[in-house]
Amino acid sequence: MSAKISDKDFEVLRDFIYSHCGIYFHTSKKYFLESRITRRLEETKAASVTSYLGLLRNGAGKSPELSKLLDEITTNETCFFRSPPQLKALETAFLPEIVAAKGKIGFRKLRVWSAGSSSGEEAYTLAMILLEKRATLLKDWIIEIVGTDINETVLAQAREGVYNSYAVRNTPEFYLKKYFREEAGGRYVLSPEVKKLVSFSSLNLYDDAKMVFMKSFDFILCANVLIYFDLASKTKVVQHFYNNLQPYGYFFVGQSESLHGVNDRFKTVHFPGGFAYKK
Amino acid sequence: MKGGVERVESTARTERAISLIKGMTDLPTIPAVATRVLSLLDQPEVDIDEIADLILTDQVMAARVLKIVNSPLYRPSQPITSLKGALIYLGLRHIREFILTCAFIQSFEGKDGVLGVKPFWEHSFGVGIVARIIARKAGYRDTEKAYIGGIIHDIGEVFLSYYFREEFQRLVDRMKEHPHLLVEAELEEFGTTHCEIGLCMAREWNFPDDYCEVISCHHTPLQATNDPRLVAIVNLADLFCTVRRLDYGGKEWVRFSLAEEPAWEMVQGEGAGLGDFDVERFCYELDDQVEEIRELVQNIFKDR
Repeated sequence: MSAKISDKDFEVLRDFIYSHCGIYFHTSKKYFLESRITRRLEETKAASVTSYLGLLRNGAGKSPELSKLLDEITTNETCFFRSPPQLKALETAFLPEIVAAKGKIGFRKLRVWSAGSSSGEEAYTLAMILLEKRATLLKDWIIEIVGTDINETVLAQAREGVYNSYAVRNTPEFYLKKYFREEAGGRYVLSPEVKKLVSFSSLNLYDDAKMVFMKSFDFILCANVLIYFDLASKTKVVQHFYNNLQPYGYFFVGQSESLHGVNDRFKTVHFPGGFAYKK
Repeated sequence: MKGGVERVESTARTERAISLIKGMTDLPTIPAVATRVLSLLDQPEVDIDEIADLILTDQVMAARVLKIVNSPLYRPSQPITSLKGALIYLGLRHIREFILTCAFIQSFEGKDGVLGVKPFWEHSFGVGIVARIIARKAGYRDTEKAYIGGIIHDIGEVFLSYYFREEFQRLVDRMKEHPHLLVEAELEEFGTTHCEIGLCMAREWNFPDDYCEVISCHHTPLQATNDPRLVAIVNLADLFCTVRRLDYGGKEWVRFSLAEEPAWEMVQGEGAGLGDFDVERFCYELDDQVEEIRELVQNIFKDR
C-alpha cells in the first residue's frame, strides 16, 4: 500500500527535494513519490507526511533521513537508451557540430565520459550510436568512451556486458538485433564490437588528484550522481567537469536534474525535451 | 550597412506577403460583436449589462465565452452558467483579452490546414500563458498584453498552412529529414514567412500597433521599435514552448541558450532582472502545464 500524499504536502516535499538535490518531480510523478516514500514512513514510524517532513528538515540538509530518501527515489536503475530527447540532441545536433569544429583543425578524435556509469548501459548506448556513424560522420575518427564509477561490483558487470531483458526494455529493435545476442533465460550479450569501444575504471568524483587527469572530453554525461553530494561538493565536482570539457563540448545531467545554483559558468542549452550545458 | 540590406529584404518579404493575401476572398474575419465589445470597453464608463447584452446577440460567441470560462484555464470554484456571471468572474480588466481570445478561435474555426487548428491553439495558448508568466517575473507592466501577444503571434501560420496546403506539406516533410526552424523553411518555399503574412492580416483587422509588431518581429526581436520588451517576452515564450512539446506536434527542432538570446537581455527591465530566475525549474513546471493546455484546447473544440 502506498501512502497517500495531499497535493499540498506533495508540493512541499517536491520543493524540498528540488532545493536539496536539484531533482524535480512533475505532478504526474506524484504516484512515484507516494510509492517510494511509503517505506520511509514505515521505517521512521512517522505518523504523517507532515511529521516526516519535519524529520527531513532536521539537520539543515545533512539529515541522515534525506540521504535515505534519496536512496529510495534514485535506486531506479539505469537502462539502455534511457533518455531519448538527450540522445537525439546529442546525435543529430551536437555531434555534427563538434565533428565540424574538430574536423576544421584536423583533430579526428572524439572523447566521451559516462561519469557514474554504473553497469555501463549509458556508455554502451553512446558506443552503439557512435558506431552507427562510423561509415559517415565519424569515418576515420578515433572514438574513446570512458565509463567511471566508484563501485567495483557494478564496474565488473559493465565489463562483462551481459544484461537482462529489463535493462534493454527501451532499446530500439534495430540496435537490439544488431548489437545484442539473445540467450536462453532472457540474457542479452553485448557484441564485442561495442564492448571494445568502452573502457571502465574506478574513480571517485570527489578525488581532486584523479579528477584533474580526466582531460579533454567532448561529451560528459553524469546522470543521477550529483544528487548524493551536498552543495559544496557538487560545486567542486561540477567545476572539474567544466575544466575537463572541451570548449565546444556538452555536459549532460539526468533528465530532471539541474545545475541551478551550483555553477554559473556553464551555459544552459535548451532543446526539445531537455537541456545540456556548454562552456 | 548590414541593417540596410536586412531592411530591403524584409520589405521584399512584406510585398510578397501582400501579393499572396491579395485576391483571397475568404480571409478569416473577426466577429463583428467582438469589435463592438472592444470599442465599448474603451469607453470610460462601461456597464457590464451592456456588454452582456451585446455578446448575447451572437449566440456562438456567448456559448464559447461560457465554455472557456469554465475550462481549467480559469478554474471557477463552481460552474458558471450565466454570461453576466462569467463577465463578473473575469473582471473588467480581463474581459478584453478574453473576448479577443474567443474571437480568434471563432475566426479560425474550420480552417484546418496542414498544421490543424488544435495544435495551432495548443501552441498559441501555450505561448500566451508562458508569456504572461515571464512578463510577471520580469516586472513587465501589462501581463495581459503579453498573454494576448502570445495568443496571436503566429496567426500568419494558419493562413499559410490552410491556403497553401501543398507547399506547406512539402515544407513540413522536408523538415522531418533536416530539422530546422519553420520560419527559415518558409522563406525558402514562399519567399516570405508567417511573420509578414500575419502582419498583413493584423493590419487588415486593424490591430493596435504593438500587436502588429509582436506578429511581425517575434523571430527578430531586435527589430522591434514600439514595445521591444513585449516582443522579447513573446519571443522567449515561443522558444520555451517549442522545447517543451508545445510546437505543432514536434515539427520543429529548436535549440537555444538564453545567455545568447538577444531577447533575454531585452526582457530584463530596469531594476527587475531575472537574475534569480531558475530557468530549469521553470521548464519542469512547464511540463506540468503542457497537459493542462492540451486539455483546455480539447475542451474548447470538444463538440465541433
